[in-house]
Amino acid sequence: MCSVGDDDYDNQAEKTMRKESGIKLSETCNKCRVEKSCVVLRGKDAYCKNCFLIGTIHKFKASLGKYRLIQTNDRVLVWYKVGHPSTSLLHFLRSGLDLMAHKRLRFQPLILFIDDQYHLNVDERKLLLEQVKKEVSSFDFELHCISFADYITDPKKLPELVTTNIISEDDKEKLDYVINKKASKTNKNDIKRLLRRQLLIDVAKYYKCKFVFTPEISVDIASDLLSNVSLGRGSHISIDTGFCDDRDTEVKILKPLRLFDMKELAFYNNHNNLEPLSVRQIEVNPYSSVQDLMTKFVTDLQVNYPATVTTILKTGDKLSLNKHIDVHCRLCKGPIPEIGDQLTSQQSTNFSHLVSNEFLDYGITRQERFQNISDKFDQNSDVNDSICYSCSSICNDICVK
Amino acid sequence: MKITIQFGGGVHLLFGNIKLHEIDLPDREKHWTIGDLLLWMTDNLLQERPELFLQDKSVRPGILVIVNDTDWELLGCADYVIQPKDTIGFISTLHGG
Repeated sequence: MCSVGDDDYDNQAEKTMRKESGIKLSETCNKCRVEKSCVVLRGKDAYCKNCFLIGTIHKFKASLGKYRLIQTNDRVLVWYKVGHPSTSLLHFLRSGLDLMAHKRLRFQPLILFIDDQYHLNVDERKLLLEQVKKEVSSFDFELHCISFADYITDPKKLPELVTTNIISEDDKEKLDYVINKKASKTNKNDIKRLLRRQLLIDVAKYYKCKFVFTPEISVDIASDLLSNVSLGRGSHISIDTGFCDDRDTEVKILKPLRLFDMKELAFYNNHNNLEPLSVRQIEVNPYSSVQDLMTKFVTDLQVNYPATVTTILKTGDKLSLNKHIDVHCRLCKGPIPEIGDQLTSQQSTNFSHLVSNEFLDYGITRQERFQNISDKFDQNSDVNDSICYSCSSICNDICVK
Repeated sequence: MKITIQFGGGVHLLFGNIKLHEIDLPDREKHWTIGDLLLWMTDNLLQERPELFLQDKSVRPGILVIVNDTDWELLGCADYVIQPKDTIGFISTLHGG
């Protein structure tokens, strides 16, 4: 992609994206109008501690209640990731399950931790696992763990893996063995996301859970949405970033925190005296992959324009497939749009890829050359029809065993 | 002037792994704002990588500042004048998994 001249915009950001500082924040709570406000959300709305906490819990229950998917006594697998969102999620669940709670939650959560922090050394990972166990048990939940590297090496061993959970030195090598080390980081991120999704579904099936909760928050969803568009997964937007991913017939993946922002949850934890675990993070070069770049783009914009994330999210919510599609990709299980009379952008990309890699035979006429290449394109387009455009580009880059 | 500084969400990793600091700011004629405190902390408490804490004379986006349980955005951000016995908390949202 051409990026000449882009630096210019970087330098002008100061001029073109000036910070607005005219908003007057209310000293009393926007909701009850009595108490002194203590937190500002969306850069403009101030709430007191009590109204803020009630509002946050209500938002969580409302997002679950709106879809009416979960029935009494259903088992739900909760993916615990280190950080503010997961800690808040555990607290929402524990306080919601409490017998005394108003509009009590009536399902049974199981907590799962995936050991995939391979930038830490073995001792740090063991320590982290101990800390996670401690945190989860402080909420009176039982923790289940699984090693990501072991799972992708042999998914069939899952029943053994969830009971043993061994942290070993060579986990990173196992990962490199399955996912081609030389592949681009964008494709690696994408395949890891697909594998992790499969892992969650497999574990959920093993424990007979009908639902999985994942801890993505609004900013994650917004950057995933834009990454999906850039990676040619436009037709998967509604299942990848919507509230419910129902690609699998038995297990549905839900994102109960998708409308929360980080500040909300950090304040929620702070007001409830919860201290989430923190792990050493590796410094990520934002230009190293499409996903990282999108995260940087969204978070940078969000600093000065607090409506960025909600705008992306709400626009994404309006996008969905306009017809039912029965053909699904073998890798990501997403729908593959049918090819109609008109050329799709996917076919155009493939065609120009084919043309640019052909040696032209100048011994024949122009018409014949056109006929040859167009025949060849028609033959090629039948290949791999059970894999979607985006996954086929992963497959070319990464060898999945 | 005695104040308390608390670190949460991983900010303590930059400050010698200590989560609670009871500090005594040197007396001076001009009052202390949080902006002044940030610079003082960088010189006196911060152990590594100031770019992970400070950006453009304020905290880096992603670090929340809470003064006595109140969002600093309500108090004028870096211009807030620190009072004796204030508890100032810095919470990072960047150290999750």
